[in-house]
Amino acid sequence: MKYFIMNLGCQMNQADSERVQSVFGQMGLERTDVEREAQVLGIVACSVRQKAIDRVYTKIHEWNERKNSENLITFVSGCILPADHEKFLDRFDLVFSIEDLLKVPDLFRQYGIVTPLSQFEGNVIVQGSALEPFWKVAPVYSSTFEAFIPIQNGCDKFCTFCAVPYTRGREVSRPSADILEEVKTLVKKGYKSIHLLGQNVNSYGLDKNGAELTFNQLLEEIGQFGEAGGYQFWTYFTSPHPRDMNREVLQTIARYPVLAKLIHLPLQSGDDHVLIRMNRHHTMDRYRELIADVRRLLPHATLFTDIIVGFTGETDQQFQSTLTAMKEFRYQMAFIAQYSPRPGAASARWEDDVSGETKKERLQVLTQVLRETSLEYNQTLVGRILKVLVEKPDRKKGYLSGRTEGKISLRFAGTDLSLVGTFVDVHIESAVPFSLEGTLVART
Amino acid sequence: MQALSSDVRVLANQRLGSGCFLLSFERAGLVFQTGQYLSLRVPGSREQREYSIYSGEAEAQLTVLVKEVDGGLVSQRLAGLLPGDLIHVDGPFGYFTLEPARVTGKPLLFLATGTGISPFHSFVATRPDLEYTLLHGVREVADLALSCGFAPGRVITCVSRENGGTFHGRLTKRLVTMPISPETHAFLCGNCDMIYEAFDLLRAEGVSSDQIYTEVYF
Repeated sequence: MKYFIMNLGCQMNQADSERVQSVFGQMGLERTDVEREAQVLGIVACSVRQKAIDRVYTKIHEWNERKNSENLITFVSGCILPADHEKFLDRFDLVFSIEDLLKVPDLFRQYGIVTPLSQFEGNVIVQGSALEPFWKVAPVYSSTFEAFIPIQNGCDKFCTFCAVPYTRGREVSRPSADILEEVKTLVKKGYKSIHLLGQNVNSYGLDKNGAELTFNQLLEEIGQFGEAGGYQFWTYFTSPHPRDMNREVLQTIARYPVLAKLIHLPLQSGDDHVLIRMNRHHTMDRYRELIADVRRLLPHATLFTDIIVGFTGETDQQFQSTLTAMKEFRYQMAFIAQYSPRPGAASARWEDDVSGETKKERLQVLTQVLRETSLEYNQTLVGRILKVLVEKPDRKKGYLSGRTEGKISLRFAGTDLSLVGTFVDVHIESAVPFSLEGTLVART
Repeated sequence: MQALSSDVRVLANQRLGSGCFLLSFERAGLVFQTGQYLSLRVPGSREQREYSIYSGEAEAQLTVLVKEVDGGLVSQRLAGLLPGDLIHVDGPFGYFTLEPARVTGKPLLFLATGTGISPFHSFVATRPDLEYTLLHGVREVADLALSCGFAPGRVITCVSRENGGTFHGRLTKRLVTMPISPETHAFLCGNCDMIYEAFDLLRAEGVSSDQIYTEVYF
């Protein structure tokens, strides 16, 4: 029996999906990327934007049409709001939260599908010795050199535009011993790019009342491991919250080469009033101090951000504050989203009073600034030799593409696929907004 | 901090007038810092809302102050709860807390509109020796019931739509007449408009943004 998974949303969902695939694999199901071939069809859903939820409804409608002539089983998991959960129960055969992943073999058994695991009532093979929550499920990594490692689930911040506290619950830190074991195992296998994932990674450990490492200590452990073993890899993390980000974390990143010099610090808005309305718990002064620390302690780091335009009540003047901030901080990358209300989030109870046209205009204005600051930064790299992680053949024939430590996309002439997943040195020869082009110098 | 996410028994539901009520329920071992809030829902319902804790850190039960909102999906259900009924409590959450290392010895200014007075009640119940000035903005005289229990000399009540209280007018209109030291640590809780205006006024008086703490009620 083959299964197909549609993965929506963020890297957290990708990490969740890798664990779902692990359980399915142990159940004897075979993965396919061809939807038509599959008898088990599922979605790891995202509730951050309405568009993602709309896709779930569209897809399940299509699959239920197919059920008129085929025997199919459908499921949905991931980030699901309580209101959608109720509706999904009517549309999908199985609806389970990611925390209930270990019960999936038993759900299939109840549905009449006997698998090697369901005969034993769901004894999923987990990392380590104990059968614990889904974090213990050994994931099926979708890459041989890049891995996404959840370190935390849930969120306690209650930003008014976000429904995550209602879909994933409160912040829970994964045991650091498990995280470190997963990191070390992957690095020893040759993984080069490690992403630590959580909704607010830098509040990691705070829910354990001193009985767990802090985020800074976790990074320190990874840094020491890399240094002691002489390993070459880059460790990234997303997303930090400006409220919990601190100088110590930046100092630790500065100390260890395996901690990548990229800081992704969500701004969301450059206006204090909007930040208050978003319930972000930081001010522009605080954000500005953090950026000054980044520039001082990590002078070569790239800086990424997230921004929402057209948040409910955002005036032209408040948008201008965001525009000013964009110009001031000169990001290398910004993930700019037009605001859309999500049922369950506090802001969904307010009027979505900025027109779609205005949101689009604001998005275009910020994107133009981003193009300029990205190009400006990329041009400073021309002439330098940079270490690059090769990722895949480029869309341009005869080229390979990869990323720098700061996650700037890059391509160079080459067809040797054995370079994929390795570090190479590339001489940078030209720059455009968001990407670079160069010549391969050497495998490192 | 001992978190809680479970159903507990309601102990009391006391009407205060002006559409507000104090809802008390079992603490079930929950430990919180004064100023934090809880997420509440009635079991069986999907809707939940966040409410600041009104009671002090040492009290045996938890109490929240709730305004019954017309058509409110949660507040109306909470209003109907009786002692012995179950309520689902999740928390504590939030950062609107008094950190002794930061605020001890500093002038403390508390600004609240309506039920935004709730965390300040918790502050004072937890630390009765606290020296502070509280400005409480309400629309009508009947709403002054919300600021009962505070030391009279420390509270300036501002009533915007009727004559009454210490001051007739909006809270920020009174605030602008007050001398504000740049050393002040200001805690703002209530509606957005008050918080925006007060935030700007305090900044203009030289109060650093990291000495201004906000908790917006929606």
